[in-house]
Amino acid sequence: MRKPPKVILVIALTATLLAVLPIAYLGLRLFEGFDRALAELLRFRTLELLGNTGLLVLAVSASALLVGFSQAWLTTRSTVKFASFFAVLAALPLAIPSYVMALGYMSLFPGFSGFFASWLVLTLATSPYVFLGVTAALVRIDTATDEVARTLGLGRFQVLTRVTFPQVRPAATASVLLVALYVLSEFGAIALLRFDTFTRAIYNAYQGSFDRTSAAALALVLLLMTLLIIWFERRYRGLYTASPKALGKRLRVDLGSWSWAAMAALALVSVFSVGIPMASLLAWSIQGSASLDLPMLLDALWGSVRLASLSGIIISVFATAIALWAVRYRTRLGAWIETLSWATHALPAVVVGLALVFFGANITPWIYQTTWMLVIAYLILFLPNALAAISTPIAQAPKDLEDVSQSLGVPANRTLFKVVLPIAFPGILAGAGLVALTVLKELPATLLLRPTETNTLATRLWDATEDLAYSQAAPFALLLVIVAGLPALVLNAQARKALSEVRG
Amino acid sequence: MIKKAITFAAFASVSLAGCSAAPSVVENSITAAESATEQPIAEKTSITVYSGRKESLVQAVIDQFTTDTGITVEVRYGKSAEMAAQLLEEGDNSPADVFFSQDAGALGAVGKAGMFIEMPSEILGLVPSEYSAADGKWVGVSGRARVIVYDPDKVSEVPASVFDLARPEWQGRIGIAPTNASFQAFVTAMRILHGENKTLEWLKAMKANAVMYPKNSAILQAVEDKDIDAGLINHYYWFAKGKDIGVENMTSKLGQFQSKDVGNLINSAGVGIISDSSAAKSFVEYLLSKTGQQYFVGETSEYPLIPGVVAGVELTPMDQIPAPEIDLSDLDSLEETLDMIRESGLI
Repeated sequence: MRKPPKVILVIALTATLLAVLPIAYLGLRLFEGFDRALAELLRFRTLELLGNTGLLVLAVSASALLVGFSQAWLTTRSTVKFASFFAVLAALPLAIPSYVMALGYMSLFPGFSGFFASWLVLTLATSPYVFLGVTAALVRIDTATDEVARTLGLGRFQVLTRVTFPQVRPAATASVLLVALYVLSEFGAIALLRFDTFTRAIYNAYQGSFDRTSAAALALVLLLMTLLIIWFERRYRGLYTASPKALGKRLRVDLGSWSWAAMAALALVSVFSVGIPMASLLAWSIQGSASLDLPMLLDALWGSVRLASLSGIIISVFATAIALWAVRYRTRLGAWIETLSWATHALPAVVVGLALVFFGANITPWIYQTTWMLVIAYLILFLPNALAAISTPIAQAPKDLEDVSQSLGVPANRTLFKVVLPIAFPGILAGAGLVALTVLKELPATLLLRPTETNTLATRLWDATEDLAYSQAAPFALLLVIVAGLPALVLNAQARKALSEVRG
Repeated sequence: MIKKAITFAAFASVSLAGCSAAPSVVENSITAAESATEQPIAEKTSITVYSGRKESLVQAVIDQFTTDTGITVEVRYGKSAEMAAQLLEEGDNSPADVFFSQDAGALGAVGKAGMFIEMPSEILGLVPSEYSAADGKWVGVSGRARVIVYDPDKVSEVPASVFDLARPEWQGRIGIAPTNASFQAFVTAMRILHGENKTLEWLKAMKANAVMYPKNSAILQAVEDKDIDAGLINHYYWFAKGKDIGVENMTSKLGQFQSKDVGNLINSAGVGIISDSSAAKSFVEYLLSKTGQQYFVGETSEYPLIPGVVAGVELTPMDQIPAPEIDLSDLDSLEETLDMIRESGLI
């Protein structure tokens, strides 16, 4: 058995220890006030939260599936005009953080809040995930089965439901589970739209009654719900095998006179998901431009960019180390560490933030409220994202070249740095970029842990929403979409692939 | 023990003096208090302030403080309750020297956790005691009164009590902002003074009667626009708008309920000192100096809390507001209030 270099071991173990911190924090709080925690869990309110959260997760999952699947089918399998244009539009909401979308709506419609508002915003924000997942699967299945089904006398709609959908179901399921996870951990949009789910209740318990035990008890329930969903996701992910078929010419269903209706439907969804929120932000930005504090905007931009680039670099170094360990030195410990870093993905950012406030102030005061503390929080939160992006390029680096290098007498560890890493470098760089852009959008942990007097676009935006000062908030929101959202969409390998394949 | 007694005597006389505004008594008692509580304190040239008050509102006066004293101030801004929660999590290791809060409830929570040092009595003595913590852990800096804003064309007489708004004749006529922190602090006061049942009953009646707004200024605008007849807001919103469009152009009026009605609650923004230093004390003293107080009056139309500073706009003098008697530190039970507001269906 080859041993990984020490530096990789150290980095990977550090990441693991850090990932355990929030769970240790929850344990500590619950242990400290077990009776109180139990009392909190047995309140009717907990049941209500469970109901609210469950309802929102189910409703958003269902509607995101419907919207995303329809968009994917219409753009890849029908004769709808301007298919690739509509495909780009369908992916575009990925560029808009959900709290920015919520802001766009509530600034336009006073009183836009509650279940319906949260459902609408989250459906619009998450349906691109289903669209991308299903598109990728749709372009890979053979349309011949559809034709066979047609000749055997099935109607078009029956073909859709009985032949096409079952074939993409694993992809759709995986995407929907992703949507469900997103909704469970969502904080910003739900807090703005004032619908009581677990994340909002945790935050309220913490800042309303200054009651950390109740907050921890609620966080535990949320953690269990999330683990349940991840368990489902893992189970179904296994079923999703992309068929290796070449992308032949796809037979598209002729919509005939329905083509216009389809275009109208696609356009309508995009009006809601991109048009309305962006128009609203633009209008407010113009209105606020007279009183815009440009130095403040630039300062926030600099704060965001600095934090994001630093975190992007550090997190991708960690992710590369763990991916190398897991992929190149298949040890049980390596695999276990990779799994653990995924498990902490279940924790809402609010809990991670609180845990680090506690540990930071009381155990490591010398880094508390410094940039490093924030980088640690981002590391815990976004390591899984980085791993997902970086594992693939490392796994794809040809093993043969490594063998050649070693047969020429280069030590294994040197081979790693001279051969594997240079080959995987572009992929790692893209992963780092993607993480940096995710960091730009992060809100709750940033609020809790940022160094005093450091502001980011997200925190400035949040401050302005406190007084519903939309014209102040809008320029920050708009800049966030331009700086973080659009590049993220371009870097997103899945999105790029799906969009290029729609034309096929 | 003797020390305590002297401090108490000084404190009591100062509170009295604060009301009757007799400067000689104030000075005497401050000297007494100083000699009684004198202790060595660390010198600092830089302090960290956690501020629940907005940057746009207070940064200017903080900059002024730095210019005048040479003490640099790092300010961490957030909502008052968030800052309080963060302080509690940080505990004794908090980097904060001073907590400057928008409302008394958040100060109460931090004070009850034992995180504030005893506020020096010469500072406490500057402010009438009802606007600071009863236990002397924090001191009020500026005051805001709950008022009823009404349209004189539609409301000929201000109701005697905020409880009267529960009557059917008010259906669809009164505006409230149930998600607003000031409204919630007022409901907390109602819970404390009148009990849970009566408060819940009132909230449920408001669910039937009231028109909901997201914030105070929207209520004021609705009364000005004659969409509704009256609303419950903080006094300074009216003056801010008056400054904006001219007081003479305001169609609405401010009114008060009868004496000691909870609807007349006066809440204070205040400060507590977490880490003892002369710099932290200077900061608090500065906020309570004429310069500091004048700043709040001019900038926010809030009530000054020291004698001798005149409110710039035509405010009802604070001692003429028939406010209820309550220890403002007790306004910290926000979660119970939120639960009750939720139960009533208002949010």
